[in-house]
Amino acid sequence: MKRKIPPRLEPELSEINEREAGMRVFRLIAGAIGAFSVLLSPAVAEDGVIKLGASVQLTGAKANTGRYYRDAYALTIDKINEGGGIKVGGKTYRLKLDLLDNQSDVNLSVRQYVRLITSDKVDFLLGPYTSNFALTDSSVAEKYRVPMVQGGGAAAEIFNRGYRYIFGTFAPAGDYFVSTIDMLGQLMPKVETVSLISADDSFDLSVAKGTRKHLKQAGIAIVLDEQFRDEHGEFSSILSKIKAAHGDAILVACHEPDALNFIRKAKSLGVNPGYFQSFTVGVPTADFRHALGDDANYTFGMTAWLPSSVLKDRWFGNAARFAESYKAKYGYEPDYHAASAAADVETFAYAIEKAGSLNREAVRDAIAQSDFDSLYAHIAFNKTGQIILPQIVVQIQNGELKPIYTDKFLNRPHYPIPPWNDR
Amino acid sequence: MLLLQILLNGVLTGGLYGLMAFGMALVWGVLKILNLAHGSLIMLGGYMVYYLFTLFGIDPFAALPIAALFMFAFGWLLQRFLINLIVRATMLSTLLIAFGIDVIITYLAQLFFSADFRTINPAYSGANFSVLGLTVPVVDLIAFIIAVILAATMWFVLNHTPLGRAIRATAQNLTAARLHGIDPVRIYAITFGIGAALAGVAGGLFGLTTHLAPYIGAELTAKSFVIAIIGGLTNPFNVIFGGIAVGIAEQLGSFYLGATYSDVISFGLLVLVLVSRPARSLRAA
Repeated sequence: MKRKIPPRLEPELSEINEREAGMRVFRLIAGAIGAFSVLLSPAVAEDGVIKLGASVQLTGAKANTGRYYRDAYALTIDKINEGGGIKVGGKTYRLKLDLLDNQSDVNLSVRQYVRLITSDKVDFLLGPYTSNFALTDSSVAEKYRVPMVQGGGAAAEIFNRGYRYIFGTFAPAGDYFVSTIDMLGQLMPKVETVSLISADDSFDLSVAKGTRKHLKQAGIAIVLDEQFRDEHGEFSSILSKIKAAHGDAILVACHEPDALNFIRKAKSLGVNPGYFQSFTVGVPTADFRHALGDDANYTFGMTAWLPSSVLKDRWFGNAARFAESYKAKYGYEPDYHAASAAADVETFAYAIEKAGSLNREAVRDAIAQSDFDSLYAHIAFNKTGQIILPQIVVQIQNGELKPIYTDKFLNRPHYPIPPWNDR
Repeated sequence: MLLLQILLNGVLTGGLYGLMAFGMALVWGVLKILNLAHGSLIMLGGYMVYYLFTLFGIDPFAALPIAALFMFAFGWLLQRFLINLIVRATMLSTLLIAFGIDVIITYLAQLFFSADFRTINPAYSGANFSVLGLTVPVVDLIAFIIAVILAATMWFVLNHTPLGRAIRATAQNLTAARLHGIDPVRIYAITFGIGAALAGVAGGLFGLTTHLAPYIGAELTAKSFVIAIIGGLTNPFNVIFGGIAVGIAEQLGSFYLGATYSDVISFGLLVLVLVSRPARSLRAA
């Protein structure tokens, strides 16, 4: 049976319906205008604030290194703000960090960069850690035409796609072992054969590809060329092959946990490195020395940065002072990841001042023309958006990290590396 | 000789894999809960041994029983006051709560232990000896022996003690077990406690051979799952054999195909077992 509506209610209901219909049309128009303005206009900065957005590994498997980016971004932004902020067209701006945790999930990272641009309305983008992430996240930056300066990815694939909005402050991954190979040419006994081991992620494959070329040029033969799954290295079989191959040296392109597992397993299986072994990532960190104790000794590695007072900086004074402030604030030592991240923030500061506006296109062009000294290195990007920076060969000697070689010897290397049972 | 070394590596690694999976298989068999937090319990056990060693100077092998005891208590409490609330819920609910526990333990671990990589590194950790030209890592060998001893102990407890009979009865027929005066709440809590204690021991041995980080749990859960399926849920020795099978398959696969395929090999083995022996595997699960 149809329920009869009392007459006194009828006008009220129709009024409500009309009002609702009106509101719906209003919302629709407002929504359309909003969506249209988001699509057409660049992000409008809050008064006196420039928002830098980043999605970084604060939790998950890569949190150990992701923290360098969180802390270095925050420290550098605070320092620039304390120093008076950034002057743009006679107006002073403060930098503000919008930081998200990608939980070491590359898919989440992509979604977060989209959110940073479309919802959080950041002005510019800082990068995540490691090449796999930078590779995909930079596509978001390119799509929305938002300049991204990242100091966490070195793989060639990030930079050889013709993108205009991605800049990197890591040297090309393929050249990581250049200074090491150069040094090996000057050491006796001479290294003539190597085992080249690499993880299967974007960065390490780039390293391996470049290293094969450089080894060939140096006349060093590769007796074993193996890959393993990134950050899941179970090295028993690879080490048994290394032992059987009898190479003079081992070069390993990997991240820190795999370097730890490799060395521990090598010791327990009695696999000696020949004269020499070196790892791309991990060796310079305090964490690495702490985890391995005496077993870390003699291990070679590389870093693009050491906290030297020679590296002058506009805001921190020099790299040594940056390292002091960093350690005082966060309780652990910065490494080249942190320095690279700090340089990324400074790149924006210089570029925005130079552009004299917050226009993304103008700032992008100013970044491309960057030419300044920082606590990390001299920042000047090549045509693909990377900087050229030689790696410093380092070695752990009696529990301390020593710089050994750049284009000349800085300290005497402990070479050849003694076998495990002679240490 | 190289092949023999690879096989030896596989057997020794597989023993530890079996021990890791053992706790999961026990809980799965008795409580019918797939404990997705099992890897996190292994991780917690690893950190416990690490801190007992670094802070109190207790030898890692001596610290194993202490860690096992604490992990038993932790597992008992977890089951008694949390998991027991949903023990008869649908499979999805139990999976979700186990996953939730895994997330909470993992994030608390990062909060308290930091994301730094840790290793349990006593002076003898890299020691080895040679037999017939084969290199035998001492710690891996001891880990293997401990796995076998624990499997034998568990086999004895399950088959020849009143507690073991009560656990098996609860697993096989809950109603009949109740009719015979067995309190399933108590048995569930004890079983989960034993599972956690075994995970704790496995974690300590894992930290002795590789590294610890708050996020290792997910991979260890996946590996334990594969081995529990392959080995079955009833006989402890079968789980150890399952672990050894996976260990050898991984090592041979790494050797002949390449180390990037290790997960393909272990999960491929799982598919192969499920396809070739579905009735047995499903009954066991």
